[in-house]
Amino acid sequence: MAPWLAGLVPFGLVIGVSAAQSDVPTLAGWLTGPLIYAGSAQVATIGMLDAGAAPVVVVTAALIINIRLIFYSATMARHWRGTPWWWRLAAAYLLVDPSVAVGLDGYRRLSRSRAHAHYLGGAVLLWVSWLAAIGVGATAGAGLPAWLHLEFVIPLFLVGQAIAKLADPAMRRAIFVAATVALLALSAPLQLGIVLAIAAGVAAGLNARSDGPAQSIHPLQPSTEVPR
Amino acid sequence: MNAWTVILAAGLGSYLFRLSMIVLFDRITMPAHLQRASELVAPAAFTALAATGVATACMGLGVTQAAAPLAAVAAAIIAVLRTGSSQAAILVGMPTLWITAAMLPS
Repeated sequence: MAPWLAGLVPFGLVIGVSAAQSDVPTLAGWLTGPLIYAGSAQVATIGMLDAGAAPVVVVTAALIINIRLIFYSATMARHWRGTPWWWRLAAAYLLVDPSVAVGLDGYRRLSRSRAHAHYLGGAVLLWVSWLAAIGVGATAGAGLPAWLHLEFVIPLFLVGQAIAKLADPAMRRAIFVAATVALLALSAPLQLGIVLAIAAGVAAGLNARSDGPAQSIHPLQPSTEVPR
Repeated sequence: MNAWTVILAAGLGSYLFRLSMIVLFDRITMPAHLQRASELVAPAAFTALAATGVATACMGLGVTQAAAPLAAVAAAIIAVLRTGSSQAAILVGMPTLWITAAMLPS
């Protein structure tokens, strides 16, 4: 869990700062933590609300980004068969990239009951750390001077996340196409250009994968990169 | 629908995603192409948001002042490419933004 926390805490701080600097109420920005509980969707929600996107567009974009949670749900479902419903409801709430990775590791190494505890312990630690990091960022970010231009932290963070993926050909094509479409569609109403750019980027990336050899880029490899 | 409702709706939808296959596990098999698509969503979304955010910030500034965020992005890209760490984007980009903005005529 430690490598995940090392990447997660700065990400949480950045989200907190962006919530404090945006036009979104700071408490609402912080609430993206316990309610959405997925960093990339939180960034998109806060950023698009701040940009004045239409509510339906914001919710759609956040849910498109979070589609991967369905796969995580499928991944963990077989391990949670036969557990009480209250346990499954709570465990499902805590599903996110790092908790799935830590949970799967536990189910490989430990007995079923101990693996349940391993998952829940790691997931709760992650959840508390995440909410604390966002809270600290939101609190500190509101009191910082304007010349720091902290509103620019999120675009730079996103640039870093995107550029770090350029080594994979499919990712590279998805990133270039998404950037191009986003810039061409800047004047689209309701910030629809963002959703259009995501769709175009994913389509281009899928096309690249079908052209070349299959590559595994499973998102659950622990690394120093930020969990999505 | 205000910001609170949007966040609540996105949160509720996300929770239903998390719960979906735990409830439906025995009835549905997830198509492989959807799995591949899900891996590409975050990079595409991050790029779209970054491009839109930087372009919008630059358009709100004068031609001269827009040089500061553009220089910050350029420095961030170079830093990430050289170090391989995504966090280098902020560590290099923000100081570049401050220095460039201070040097430019207001």
